[in-house]
Amino acid sequence: MRKLLVVCAMTALVLPLLVRSASTQAGPEAGKVQAARRAGPPKGAVPRLPDGSVNLMDGVWVGGGPVQDMESQGGLKKGEMDALMLPWAKALMATRDETQEPHNACLPMGVPRVTPFPYRFVQNYTHRKPTHMFILHEGNIHSYRQIFMDGRKHPAELDSSWYGHSIGSWEKDTLVIDTVGYNDKFWFDRRGHPHTEQLHTIERWTRLSLGELENRFTLDDPGAYTKPINFRFVATLMPPEDELLEYICQENNQYGASTIPGYKGPQMGKDPLK
Amino acid sequence: MRTKLAVVLAGLALVALAVPAVAHHAVGAEYDASKVVKLTGTVSKVEWTNPHARIYFDVKDADGKVTTWNVELAARSALVRQGWTASSVKIGETVTVEGSMARSGVSGVNARSVMTAAGKRVFGGNDGAIDQNAQ
Repeated sequence: MRKLLVVCAMTALVLPLLVRSASTQAGPEAGKVQAARRAGPPKGAVPRLPDGSVNLMDGVWVGGGPVQDMESQGGLKKGEMDALMLPWAKALMATRDETQEPHNACLPMGVPRVTPFPYRFVQNYTHRKPTHMFILHEGNIHSYRQIFMDGRKHPAELDSSWYGHSIGSWEKDTLVIDTVGYNDKFWFDRRGHPHTEQLHTIERWTRLSLGELENRFTLDDPGAYTKPINFRFVATLMPPEDELLEYICQENNQYGASTIPGYKGPQMGKDPLK
Repeated sequence: MRTKLAVVLAGLALVALAVPAVAHHAVGAEYDASKVVKLTGTVSKVEWTNPHARIYFDVKDADGKVTTWNVELAARSALVRQGWTASSVKIGETVTVEGSMARSGVSGVNARSVMTAAGKRVFGGNDGAIDQNAQ
């Protein structure tokens, strides 16, 4: 009976969040979002679900990963990440310029890159504990990550993909997401830090307060880096007026076509000709 | 001035002003922040889209020749969060646009400001700068 009550309470709590997040066309309250964002992340205690676990689903988040430069934005010293790159990876990066990032062509951003647009964590609640977590990204591109929370392991064989195969679990108050099976196409940042299909990532998401969510990120890719590298990013909670909006990047992307002389389009993967 | 097109080779201070807080997807590779133009014309089309909203407007030079300029704004998502809508400017309205020229030399700018004939600044954040937070 007590279990049933908890489930009912959780459903009542989570359902409105899901309904709100599905209304992508509703739009945030005009003008209020920008003003509220300026005030900085809200202050307060870490919110929890009725079962005591940390609630990551009470709003939309921005940040928590690199955009321009993974090395400096992830808290590393200048040259620290680059010094761990294998020679071929260094050579490939040297050929890249930021106009060639696949992201500019409305291709997915991969992990752990973020955009200035928000994302939302959503879990599927039934009468049982959640089996799946989704991270819904508004911006570029309108896409989702699926994290299996039901205790399964990674398959022995995987077709490589942009977001890979993710399994998640809670270590006390930290959501740990372990991912393999990535393709080698996305860039970690605009500088063009590369990776291979051997990439294995571990994200440790810890909500530090109401307004701040830390992502301790481990990049483990023996194909491109001499040893695993640890980064730290912090996402901030957006004001309650903010919601995910529709963002169809392919609708009117004119990037480079007429504005950059000799624009070559995106460069993906280890082989520049790929 | 022979045309309504004023090309200003900006100094370092101006370049610094043009750099947005969170840069757009490699905007500097597409548009030259040291080549700023200020144009007045009539809006012929509004594209309320991602990854960028755009307005197209017709600019007439002293000889009467009309050129349609493609004006890149911030992402629709970013503009909506600032409170702007697809009808914040209307087709047929006169606007003055200031922005960085496309590097390729086509008639395209990345807008720094868009002003209506009544002097109202549109598609700019509360701090006056157009939010370039796209992608």
